[in-house]
Amino acid sequence: MRPRDLHSKSRLPLAFSVPKREDQHNEDSFRRSAKGVYALSDGASVSFDSASWARILVRRYTRDPEFTREWLSAAIAEFRQLYDRDSLPWMQQASFDKGSFASLLGVRMADGGRAIQVLSVGDSLAVLCDGDRIKATFPISSAAEFTQSPQLICTNPTHNAFLDKMDFAYDLVADWSFRGLQQPALLCMTDALGHWLLSQRDRDSSPISVLRRLRTPGAFARFVREERAAGRMKRDDTTLIALW
Amino acid sequence: MAYQAEISRENPTCILFVIDQSGSMDEITEAGRSKAAFVADVLNKTLYTLITTCSKSDGVRNYFDVGVIAYAGSQVGSGFGGALSGDIVHPIHAISENTLRVEERKKKVDDGAGGIVELKTKFPIWFDPKSQGGTPMRAALRKTMETMFGWCEQHPGSYPPTILHVTDGQSTDGTPEEMADGLRQISTKDGAALLFNLHVNTAAGQEIVFPTSESDLNDDYSRMLFRMSSPLPEHLAKFAGDKGYTIADGSRGFIFNGDPQCVVDFFEIGTRPRVVADR
Repeated sequence: MRPRDLHSKSRLPLAFSVPKREDQHNEDSFRRSAKGVYALSDGASVSFDSASWARILVRRYTRDPEFTREWLSAAIAEFRQLYDRDSLPWMQQASFDKGSFASLLGVRMADGGRAIQVLSVGDSLAVLCDGDRIKATFPISSAAEFTQSPQLICTNPTHNAFLDKMDFAYDLVADWSFRGLQQPALLCMTDALGHWLLSQRDRDSSPISVLRRLRTPGAFARFVREERAAGRMKRDDTTLIALW
Repeated sequence: MAYQAEISRENPTCILFVIDQSGSMDEITEAGRSKAAFVADVLNKTLYTLITTCSKSDGVRNYFDVGVIAYAGSQVGSGFGGALSGDIVHPIHAISENTLRVEERKKKVDDGAGGIVELKTKFPIWFDPKSQGGTPMRAALRKTMETMFGWCEQHPGSYPPTILHVTDGQSTDGTPEEMADGLRQISTKDGAALLFNLHVNTAAGQEIVFPTSESDLNDDYSRMLFRMSSPLPEHLAKFAGDKGYTIADGSRGFIFNGDPQCVVDFFEIGTRPRVVADR
């Protein structure tokens, strides 16, 4: 079986997202460009305005996927323009100064999926599949890693010091390809679903086949609701981008 | 397994500070400030940090109920002033809206482009130093027990309350130990209330932090405060270990004569619940 062409209709991404609770704002954000660039960001709820921060990150990434220190400084500057810091009440000023946090997962696909570059900061997860088999995950490879506090991108540069030690092109990036895969697929997801997927894999079940059946927002919402109720999925904003 | 409940607006936890404001708290420490001034400052900063954690662009989220019991002379009651003085425990958004005053301070911060800039920052004050009279510790812990019993009845599914008690001396109204024992037996479905004690004593002995036994403590009051203290749950033990403290099985939430950083850490560790909701 030949790998399916990325540009065929079936390769259009399915994207679903449900908030942690029905009456609460969803702080995940995702976007794609016409040039095969996808971005997903999970805003951390316990911070000032992570929803806006996540939106800025995915919009800027899909326009310019060259993630550099200058790129990050420009994104922070854009966020800071959203608020007049000095006029904020003290508690919001303190929270604004502390910063807003979000993950960033970016995917660039070229040549019909023969070259895939994944960039990740934080705990959003990219998964490369062949049929129901998981071929690779990035940046996390086991469910246990989700219990550690993730290093997220922050609007306060002090909290981005961990990036100073990193070679962005090496430490933050994975290079994958659909080449040689019989039934290739790429999934991007925020941490609650990523943890679920790696936990299920550890139990020798086939989580990919479960996700493959989810073709409508209603089906995805029902799946998340059932897994939360069964205690298998953390209650958090939950987003999936799937290129089947 | 205890101490696993997620802290959320639907299921907030409670943090209660019990503060000795007796006359001896006016003693000047090596840092040149009174114990009362230092404790008031740390308490203001701890509330500031807690509220900052709960603040978003659309308001303050009620992840915590917070209370302060102050005791001195013959008085045991709310440590808050103004609109908060009528009750012991308040939702954290109410505390954020009812400060004594907001001061303006300056701090240096990274400007994001390799430089440092000085920012004017608003800093809220809820507590001014107070120190007078005797030390009615037994009555204070009785009041704490009554308050926490009521809170747990109203929040059976929540992460249990944490009580941080700061004192510099001996009780003047009888032994508080049985009150502490009763307090540690109050529980939610997620576990028993946690009582941590900070003994600030300028006279007697070197710093002892999170001990596992009372054998290294050289006075009866410290040994009693050790016995009154809860063992550190696993997640707090790990957090304390990550901060560089030596932690062993059975380490209790008790500090004797901690240096200023140690006192700050005591408050930070004690107000660090296992899970702040939704990361």
